[in-house]
Amino acid sequence: MPSFDSLMESHGVSRRGFMKFCAGVAATLGLSQAMVPKIADAAEQLVIGTTSGVLAPALWLEFASCTGCTESFASATTPDVATVILELISLNYSETLSAGAGWSLEEAMDQTINATKTVRNADGSTSTEPVGYILIIEGALMEGWNDNALVIGGEKSTDLIKKAAKNAVAIICAGDCAVDGGWQAASPNPAGATGVEPYLKKAKAAGQLDYDIPPIINVPCCPANPEHIIAMLVDYLLLNKLPQLNEYNMPSEIFGQTIHDNCPRRGHFENGEFVYEFGSEEESKGYCLYAMGCKGPQTYSNCPLVRWNRKVSWCIEAGAPCIGCAQANPNMADHGWVDLNSPFLNRFKHIGIGNFMFDPTYLAYGVGGLVALALIVHGFGMRAAGRTTGGADFETFRHYDLKHPDHPITDKPLAAEEASHLSADMQDEAIDEELKIAQPQLYDPKAAKKKGAAK
Amino acid sequence: MAHLAHYKQAHPLPFVVTHWINLISMIVLVFTGFYIHYPFFPGFMGIARGAHIFLGCILVINMIVRVVLAFFVKSAPTGGTRETVTDYKTWLPQRDNRHQGIQWIKYYLFFKKTHPLSAKLGVPQKISYLCIPILILIMAFTGCCLWSVTNTIGPFAAFVSWCGGLMVVRIIHYYLMWVFICFILLHVYLANIEGLEPTKLMFLRKEHGGLVYSPEAHDLIGRDDLKKE
Repeated sequence: MPSFDSLMESHGVSRRGFMKFCAGVAATLGLSQAMVPKIADAAEQLVIGTTSGVLAPALWLEFASCTGCTESFASATTPDVATVILELISLNYSETLSAGAGWSLEEAMDQTINATKTVRNADGSTSTEPVGYILIIEGALMEGWNDNALVIGGEKSTDLIKKAAKNAVAIICAGDCAVDGGWQAASPNPAGATGVEPYLKKAKAAGQLDYDIPPIINVPCCPANPEHIIAMLVDYLLLNKLPQLNEYNMPSEIFGQTIHDNCPRRGHFENGEFVYEFGSEEESKGYCLYAMGCKGPQTYSNCPLVRWNRKVSWCIEAGAPCIGCAQANPNMADHGWVDLNSPFLNRFKHIGIGNFMFDPTYLAYGVGGLVALALIVHGFGMRAAGRTTGGADFETFRHYDLKHPDHPITDKPLAAEEASHLSADMQDEAIDEELKIAQPQLYDPKAAKKKGAAK
Repeated sequence: MAHLAHYKQAHPLPFVVTHWINLISMIVLVFTGFYIHYPFFPGFMGIARGAHIFLGCILVINMIVRVVLAFFVKSAPTGGTRETVTDYKTWLPQRDNRHQGIQWIKYYLFFKKTHPLSAKLGVPQKISYLCIPILILIMAFTGCCLWSVTNTIGPFAAFVSWCGGLMVVRIIHYYLMWVFICFILLHVYLANIEGLEPTKLMFLRKEHGGLVYSPEAHDLIGRDDLKKE
């Protein structure tokens, strides 16, 4: 049996590198550094156990996807700790990574799903129960054309997920497409792409599932960050618990702060130093990409800390504005992250009715401009009507008083009495005549109405 | 020269102050809001965000102060009179305004030649002013949903989640700003189109002569040219 260190060395990993990895896992999971030795210990025990013990079985199902998430794991040019950890699991099915293919591989999947083990109960009797497996999903399910939009090995994707989810101990949805349908679910979504959690919840509500949905861990981003997936596997396999999840069933430690919060270009944002055009001097200076439509301020992910491609770089560090791929929302699968953030180089998403989409600012400027224009036109009208120098003359009688002379609002006799108490300079016969207040009896609403009727 | 006399009692000093604060806050908030939406010139983001959040708080506090003062300060119930009542009564339905709402609309659409008699605030005017505190509150709420310091707090986080993301809340906040802009356009236009006297009274407390109105008789009773005795 090879020692743990020699196994690591055979992968080109030093002891120091291994401990750094464990510290990274602890940080990603939000555990204190005091947990690092425990993680290292658990990893050693499990890796050593791989030669003699039972590996945790895992299925990696791929639905509508670009295989980018698999690629994200597999494209490591230098073997590292992550690959060792991945050896903790027995990956019984993966379209891309498995050596087998065709019916034999499909059979391996069925065997994994249906595998049972004998357990001894407290009363001494024995019973069988499923072994269970970790189900990793990449890609979207498709409900279009009576679920025929996506058929794998003769089985509809929706049937496949219902079959595979049954005995899973946990479902890890790796990447946006598995979370909310991703790119495939972008408007107008003719294939009816949707995420795993929204589909299973819908199927459960419709009574199509005869079992409870296993715990779902959504790990968004496009592609899913291998470090995030590894952290979930380590958390589950080594520490034997599910990570703390937020309302979107995403690990809250990973997706708890905005990209903006930890962005290396944040200083430029606060200083008001922005890139307004690609290829400009500002871009070469590494200024903030906010004006280029960066979605960092509204996207919750620890990308700036974990980075991509073995911590080499990530979108903003590479000069590309964040497109908000960590915003996949399983609770709003009919309004996926692509629709929520596109066009990606715009500060706002486009809104619209049906397929008519437009920038929200156009509508605002349109309505605002219309109001301003209407007021200008109205202003000319007011001027033509001679109302701009003090307004029109006041009405002698309220419209209501003319209609209801028996109980008018205006008290003309009282008005006349009050007028007589005014100081001399506030009384004026010409005005009284104009206002019809001096002789209210002559100008009572009843008389005025009769006069109007006679006309 | 048909307007009512403009007396200081229409706009007591505390309300002149709150109106000034409203004016300055709203203009700076709209400007910095546009800037935060898209920084159309460099070097101002820190100041814009600071000013936006500060004046947003000021606007809410000012609105609360204004509403509370309405129960303690006296003001004229109608134009053209020096009589006063507790201010909140001028925000309730008044007899001077009864059945005059449609008349106001007809007047402004040129279907009515004579100026409707009314309380200090005409019917459409009073309704739109009463909407402003509600609008400020909605604005403050959506603003808190967007501000990273507050948007993890229960109700704000729940609203963001219900909307489906900060992007949606941003667009709501942006459109509500345009409601403010349209209100300001209409308000400035209607307050000044028949002469600048109301503005001079509101901002500078400068009185002007005009017709005298009796809140009891609900009618015009004479003219006051503000001649010194």
